[in-house]
Amino acid sequence: MFSTSNLFSPIKLPSQMETHLWYSLPNEIKTESLLSQYVDLLSPLEKDHIFSISSHELQKSALIARALVRTTISRYQIGSQVSPRSLEFKKNAHGKPEVIWQNSDDWHPPPPRLHFNLSHTSSLIACGVTVDSPIGVDVEEKQRTMKNNILSFAKRYFSCEEVELLSAISDPEVQRQEFIKLWTLKEAYVKALGRGFSGAPFNTFTIRFSSMNPDSEDSGIMIVPLENPSDLTTNWQFAQLELGGSHYAAICRESNGGASMKVIVRKTIPLVEEQIISEIN
Amino acid sequence: MAAVPVTCVRLTTSMHTNQIIGKPSTLKLVSFGRATSGLSRLSRFQISCAAKPETVTKVCEIVKTQLALSADSVVEPDSKFSALGADSLDTVEIVMTLEEEFGISVEEENSQNITTVQEAADLIEKLVEKKNATA
Repeated sequence: MFSTSNLFSPIKLPSQMETHLWYSLPNEIKTESLLSQYVDLLSPLEKDHIFSISSHELQKSALIARALVRTTISRYQIGSQVSPRSLEFKKNAHGKPEVIWQNSDDWHPPPPRLHFNLSHTSSLIACGVTVDSPIGVDVEEKQRTMKNNILSFAKRYFSCEEVELLSAISDPEVQRQEFIKLWTLKEAYVKALGRGFSGAPFNTFTIRFSSMNPDSEDSGIMIVPLENPSDLTTNWQFAQLELGGSHYAAICRESNGGASMKVIVRKTIPLVEEQIISEIN
Repeated sequence: MAAVPVTCVRLTTSMHTNQIIGKPSTLKLVSFGRATSGLSRLSRFQISCAAKPETVTKVCEIVKTQLALSADSVVEPDSKFSALGADSLDTVEIVMTLEEEFGISVEEENSQNITTVQEAADLIEKLVEKKNATA
């Protein structure tokens, strides 16, 4: 029976320079008793949603995603009342989930603004966490194939400059990989903005790669808005990683005075274990 | 002269309904309401109905293909794409396939309104009708 106290000591919040990325692999989480502990963490609305999913695999995956978000955020122990079950969430105007911090007006000094973003594939679920910066995370399977022709898809949804970049890649496999990575970058950006794909159509901005300078601290990725510059802001930075050897991940968060993003990656089985995989600078 | 009984039948039609009365098994109510000049007014009357079954079926097929679901897997009109295993890229791929299949264009702003099979089918029919009206 899971008690309300954490099994682990509290995790230090990400500094202004850091982004934390937590991920779980549903295939590794099998025991029914653990899955029912996850169910116990959920709100009534979340339970309704989970139980409405007919496929067992997808239901499990959705359950783990909710458990990952709740347990991860409460690991930082902001305030004494935070248990995974007690967290409440709301959605912004575009549907992006955010934590509702209870009684935060009473706090002196004000509590750190912890931000999170979840990305969900059937085989890996990732949750990125920052302090004081909106964040967007997107993951995709490296081996993922497209049902539509890649260049047709890019012509329909991406910007002209991005179509040119993809068209110039002659090896179809490399083209497919670069397409998937570009998708994750664009998706991470619009999720960080809090607007999503429908609020910031992908052909309204270009992700541009400046020439890689090994001495530069910059990852070399910049946003070029093609319209709506007030909505499509550019003070963002990106990180691209591979997780578990099987997935591409992109993280987008606000720029930090030119310093490149420091990412601490942890692989976790919620309530059971966690393991620092790497610290990426 | 012998008297032959004649049964006189008077067929009356109501002034207020149009009804064609045939054999009970083929009783058909053509229209209700005040007598009008015909059905033409009714056929132009905009009723928002759910999409045609053929459209819903076609959307289900496309969703199953995109998400690599088996042919006998259960995809219902109210099934949410995300609950069927679609991630963000799958949803956009589905929309693109629907655009090509039905010859329509779905503005990105509307893609957030396509979360289920039924919503996709309803939007498709709205867009197809708009396209045909302006053709």
